[in-house]
Amino acid sequence: MLTVKNLAKRLPDGRLLLKDISFSVNKGEFVGILGESGVGKTVLLRCINGLTMPDSGEVMIAGPHVTHRINGNHQELRKIQRHIGMIFQGSILVKRLSALENVLTGRLGWISPLRSLLYGFTDEEVQHALAAMERVGVRHLANRRAETLSGGEMQRVAIARALIQDPYLLLADEPVSNLDPKNTEMVLDCLRPLTQQMAIIGVFHTPQLVSKYCTRAIGIKDGVIIHDGSPHITRHMQEEIYGAEWEEDTARPVAVA
Amino acid sequence: MNLASVKGLARYRALILPTAILTLLVWGAAIVTRVNLATLVDGIPRGVALWRHMFPPAWDAFSELLAPALETVQIAFVGTVFGVLFALVVGFVAAANINSNRIGRETARGLLSAERALPDLITLLLFVAIVGLGPFPGVMAVALSSVGMLGKLFADAIEEVDPRPVEALGAIGATKAQIIRFAVLPQVLPSFIANSMFRFDINIRMSIFLGAVGAGGIGFHLVSAVRLLEYQAALSAIVVVLVLVLACEKLSDIVRTKIFGQAVLR
Repeated sequence: MLTVKNLAKRLPDGRLLLKDISFSVNKGEFVGILGESGVGKTVLLRCINGLTMPDSGEVMIAGPHVTHRINGNHQELRKIQRHIGMIFQGSILVKRLSALENVLTGRLGWISPLRSLLYGFTDEEVQHALAAMERVGVRHLANRRAETLSGGEMQRVAIARALIQDPYLLLADEPVSNLDPKNTEMVLDCLRPLTQQMAIIGVFHTPQLVSKYCTRAIGIKDGVIIHDGSPHITRHMQEEIYGAEWEEDTARPVAVA
Repeated sequence: MNLASVKGLARYRALILPTAILTLLVWGAAIVTRVNLATLVDGIPRGVALWRHMFPPAWDAFSELLAPALETVQIAFVGTVFGVLFALVVGFVAAANINSNRIGRETARGLLSAERALPDLITLLLFVAIVGLGPFPGVMAVALSSVGMLGKLFADAIEEVDPRPVEALGAIGATKAQIIRFAVLPQVLPSFIANSMFRFDINIRMSIFLGAVGAGGIGFHLVSAVRLLEYQAALSAIVVVLVLVLACEKLSDIVRTKIFGQAVLR
């Protein structure tokens, strides 16, 4: 489904952030990416869906019918991006649109620009959007303005927006990092069953969440992958990923209820 | 120097020089502009005499003033609508987060500043030269002047939108036009409407003034009444102008609270 080969990415200041990243992910997997802050987890996600271009290496995304390679061509990029759902930290919605309208924006990559400018979402698309909202338990919020929703509700609306893209791949950048334990659990419980239709790659800040929800963990340090496998990470590996002083210094409150 | 930390009279010492400079500047300017209290006081009887000539307003003039008053409002209204439409286009061209072409952006910003530097009277004369006398050059002058202000305000509002939803829609394959429609417009629409209503207020005043210098409407009647020494008719025109300005201001206030009262409370 997704193959990343020898990916390298330099920061604008010249520092080589990601040196040599290779892995592939298949449908049904829920991969949790772990690493210290600033190690390049978010940059890696952005390279995968073409928000940023890698300096070298390849990103291949294989759908049921066709395989795309991420490159700089805008037209082509748009065709790939519409297959990749993306959820961001702090649930990025358009605040003045209703929850339903926000979900419908997930279809924008599919419909002609002219139709979308005239606000021509079809009844079928609206039904599709409501079904997606139903699936993540936010259908009753459809007509509320996004700015009136709680953090957990917003994040679930964002998941519904990704769902109506019918994506092969869902990228989640710290999807629960500013949610309380109850909402964290709700959002991740929404995500896990989606792996029946797609692959999910999420960036997480705690190994505990990864071991509870993911099927696989990838640990990154100094620009390379140092762990790829079981989501249950040993204490030794935790120290490798976060440094030996991790327990005292960088441990954040664990948000597992 | 931190004034609060200095005790007693010493804290005022720092104010002596600025006060002296300011006094000198005001004094100098007053002499050059021949500000003279005696002239003002001596003139008061003449003002009172004028008021006697004007009062009471010519009641029969009011019916003749309705059509010109309406014309003034229409000049302002059509001019504002044209101005807003054009400012929308220029605003997006001038916004750095929408238009990545720096030359196009700077050109748009430059034209907007140039327009704002141009006095309204000159704008009117320009259009009188192009399309002749009457309300039409007034409409064009109002429109152009509105673009100068609204184009800049729109562009600034666009540049201040939350960039994250813009990127989020870009990330899922939306085109630029779609991003503008779904992520930018919803964010800037309230300020666009508020500024356009405010500009309509200004345009009512501008349209009265332009009428006085040749663009028709109530302003023209006011000035011709004064020139013909028909002071009572002039007072009628002044009353109409006052009512017009206050009514439009109230109207735009009501519209703005209707739209934003809710949004602000949410």
